[in-house]
Amino acid sequence: MPTSPVKTRIPLTSFGHLVTEVKRQLFGIEPPTSLELTGWRKYFNSYTALGRRNCVLATYGILVATATVYVMHRRNSQEKKTQPAV
Amino acid sequence: MATSLFDQFISPVLLGIPLIALAFVLPWLLFPAPANRWITNRMLTLQNSFISNFTAQLLKPLNTGGHKWALIFAALMLFLMSLNMLGLLPYTFTPTAQLSVNLGLAVPLWLATVLIGMRNQPTKSLAHFLPEGTPIPLIPVLIIIETISLFIRPVALGVRLTANLTAGHLLMHLISTAAYSLLCIMPTVAILTSIVLVMLTVLEIAVAMIQAYVFVLLLSLYLQENV
Repeated sequence: MPTSPVKTRIPLTSFGHLVTEVKRQLFGIEPPTSLELTGWRKYFNSYTALGRRNCVLATYGILVATATVYVMHRRNSQEKKTQPAV
Repeated sequence: MATSLFDQFISPVLLGIPLIALAFVLPWLLFPAPANRWITNRMLTLQNSFISNFTAQLLKPLNTGGHKWALIFAALMLFLMSLNMLGLLPYTFTPTAQLSVNLGLAVPLWLATVLIGMRNQPTKSLAHFLPEGTPIPLIPVLIIIETISLFIRPVALGVRLTANLTAGHLLMHLISTAAYSLLCIMPTVAILTSIVLVMLTVLEIAVAMIQAYVFVLLLSLYLQENV
């Protein structure tokens, strides 16, 4: 019976590890090392734990900022509507 | 009094006293208590062997920090398995067919795994929201998808157990009603329906054990990510 060509034990709840291991073992594609990542890629990338954490925090920050701006804008528009026209 | 198919899932109350508390406590009385003897009897040896093998299998992928959860996993597995199996007896109530019970088990335990991860290794826990090797344009989308999947986990845990048990009990009720009704009208069809009922009961016994195991296994996987 043919066995899987992927040899590593991969945690079932992480597709990232699955994708990385399949790319490495089937296609020979290696993820870039931390030395190859320069500039802003050093802090925002999807390979190192720090880079992934920063991407997650940045995404949450953008979402919270967008929601805050939207709520403030909506409140201002409602206040302008309730104020009598001069 | 006309009864409906769903009356079997109503939480029983006797003279205003909810009997669900008894339903939770009584399964523990069926398990033999450890004796103060060097060599125990067959039942206790079997019980200990089962618990030891199950716990060893479950804790293999976990590091030493996760081994603190051995007792709660073993207890939860026995608890769920006994509640599910006892519910297969006629005229018994299955607490694990109630969504409130299953969510009451799933949400606190899932939340405990998340909080342990955020407290002990916050960078790694946050990094889990972005799969490794994701192309740059997909990063925001995948982070949102992974966040949603994280919050859906306890709901899925609870609903999976509830739906499996409820569906099984309903099916058994329907087929047994059909077999009973057909007994006088078409005895041959009634016998075939009874054979189907027997096979379904065997399937439900397997489902009861497997669903308890799946609940605990998924919790151990969530813990594995965070510990």
